[in-house]
Amino acid sequence: MADVVLETHNLTKEFIKRRGFSSPLHPFDKTIFTAVKNISITVERGEIFGLLGPNGAGKTTLTKMLCTLILPSGGSASVCGYDLAKQQGNVKASIALISSEERSFYWRLTGRQNLEFFAALHGLAKDEARERIDEALDQVDMTAAAGRTFKEYSTGMKQRIGLARGLLADPDIFFMDEPTKGLDPVATRKLHDFIINRMAAEGKTVFLATHHLAEAEQVCNRVGIMSNGEMVASGVTGELTGDSSLAEYFHALISDTEAEE
Amino acid sequence: MLRKPLAFLKKDFLTEISYRFSFVLQFISIFFSVVMFYFVAQLLGESPTLQQKLGDYGGDASQSYFAFVLIGIAFSNYLSVGLTSFSSSIRAEQMIGTLEAMLVTPTRLSNIVVSSSLWSFAFTSIQVAVYLLIGGIFFGVDFGNASPLPAITALILTVVAFSSLGIISASFIMIFKRGDPIAWVIATSSTLLGGVYYPITILPEWLQTLSYIFPITYALRAIRMSLLKGAGFYDVGGDLLALVIFSVIMLPISLFVFRYAVARAKRDGSLAYY
Repeated sequence: MADVVLETHNLTKEFIKRRGFSSPLHPFDKTIFTAVKNISITVERGEIFGLLGPNGAGKTTLTKMLCTLILPSGGSASVCGYDLAKQQGNVKASIALISSEERSFYWRLTGRQNLEFFAALHGLAKDEARERIDEALDQVDMTAAAGRTFKEYSTGMKQRIGLARGLLADPDIFFMDEPTKGLDPVATRKLHDFIINRMAAEGKTVFLATHHLAEAEQVCNRVGIMSNGEMVASGVTGELTGDSSLAEYFHALISDTEAEE
Repeated sequence: MLRKPLAFLKKDFLTEISYRFSFVLQFISIFFSVVMFYFVAQLLGESPTLQQKLGDYGGDASQSYFAFVLIGIAFSNYLSVGLTSFSSSIRAEQMIGTLEAMLVTPTRLSNIVVSSSLWSFAFTSIQVAVYLLIGGIFFGVDFGNASPLPAITALILTVVAFSSLGIISASFIMIFKRGDPIAWVIATSSTLLGGVYYPITILPEWLQTLSYIFPITYALRAIRMSLLKGAGFYDVGGDLLALVIFSVIMLPISLFVFRYAVARAKRDGSLAYY
């Protein structure tokens, strides 16, 4: 039996917005925006699952829900066997979130000082942290530059430090939200190689939210396509699209979905 | 257990000293502030009203007023840091963009909020020490009779009392992002009524009564009496008890409000927004 590490059942997120001062006569009237609708997916250990969709499809909201940053409005999910709603501490200990957001570091500290800080937040003891930081820096080829302040790094180096931070706690699942945004083709290729040859090869699961179709086609075993908060298709990358390329399939699917709405 | 708070302290210390000019400037401004109040004290020392109102502190009136205000401005820093450091550290992490990265670690948000403000309290303590040293060494304030233990106890209770208000303030920031009314109302009222720059006995009687709802009134009185008059636990027991009662009531309320604010921000998906 396959080892499922991520499972959702009808996971839903509704954002409630009150009209407030924009409507002084009815300030408590509310509008509901459903960002994620009834998503049910399973991801197995060692899989690289690509979450695709146009801007505003709900990819980031779904990713953030699975990382415990946003509470779901309905449905349920388990991450590494832990209930997303009730065991958030265990969930957080099993995952890493790697985004393209380079502002998630302290720019006046060095790369190593940043990693030391986040290692402490992961509860790593001092010696263990030092060991893991050295390993992580080595894995992302940043050992030599670790003593430079974060603000001096290029975009690619910042991204690699982000990757190193994700590796610190040796998580089971890596959530990656647009990890190649802003990277040049060489850095992008290195990251793809890293995901395939290091992370997946070591049995780690990668949940990759992206709107780069070529990236998903090249890296992911399976993809799910979201549109307007719903999962409109999912399957094994090569099988899902038939004779079409992923890009052709994706564009046809999104056009159909938008036409129906 | 201390690893996480120490990591925050180290990170904030390294960040603070990376802005070297600002770091030095803050200490220079303390010196100028003390000098200014020294001359104000020389001027006011002639006033018979002041001599009468400062009766408790005794001695030469100008020197008494200087010691009085020195302790007032030094320790009222704890009021502002207690009130604002939790909310400002959360807001700073939201704006820098690091809050989300912290929130996906297994460290609890309450630990993040408390640890984020540790540097502010440590730095304030250094500043208070500098205030007292400048006052004692250059301007002859006599701390020879000081009772350190009651003063330290009063200080710890003060930090807890002010922090509970600060945590409520952070809860507002968590939900509304800006426009926290708690810190503003309490900081302004406490400075006006709590006896920072003048003894509360100078206020009309109804305002004196009002001043007793603010913890700073008890805190400053206990600290002044301990440091300047050598008062022991027995002498400042009433003030310490008031601070304990305040903390026992406000701390659970503040933690409840904070938990609600975090849950609300997670529901709204706005935890890391600013």
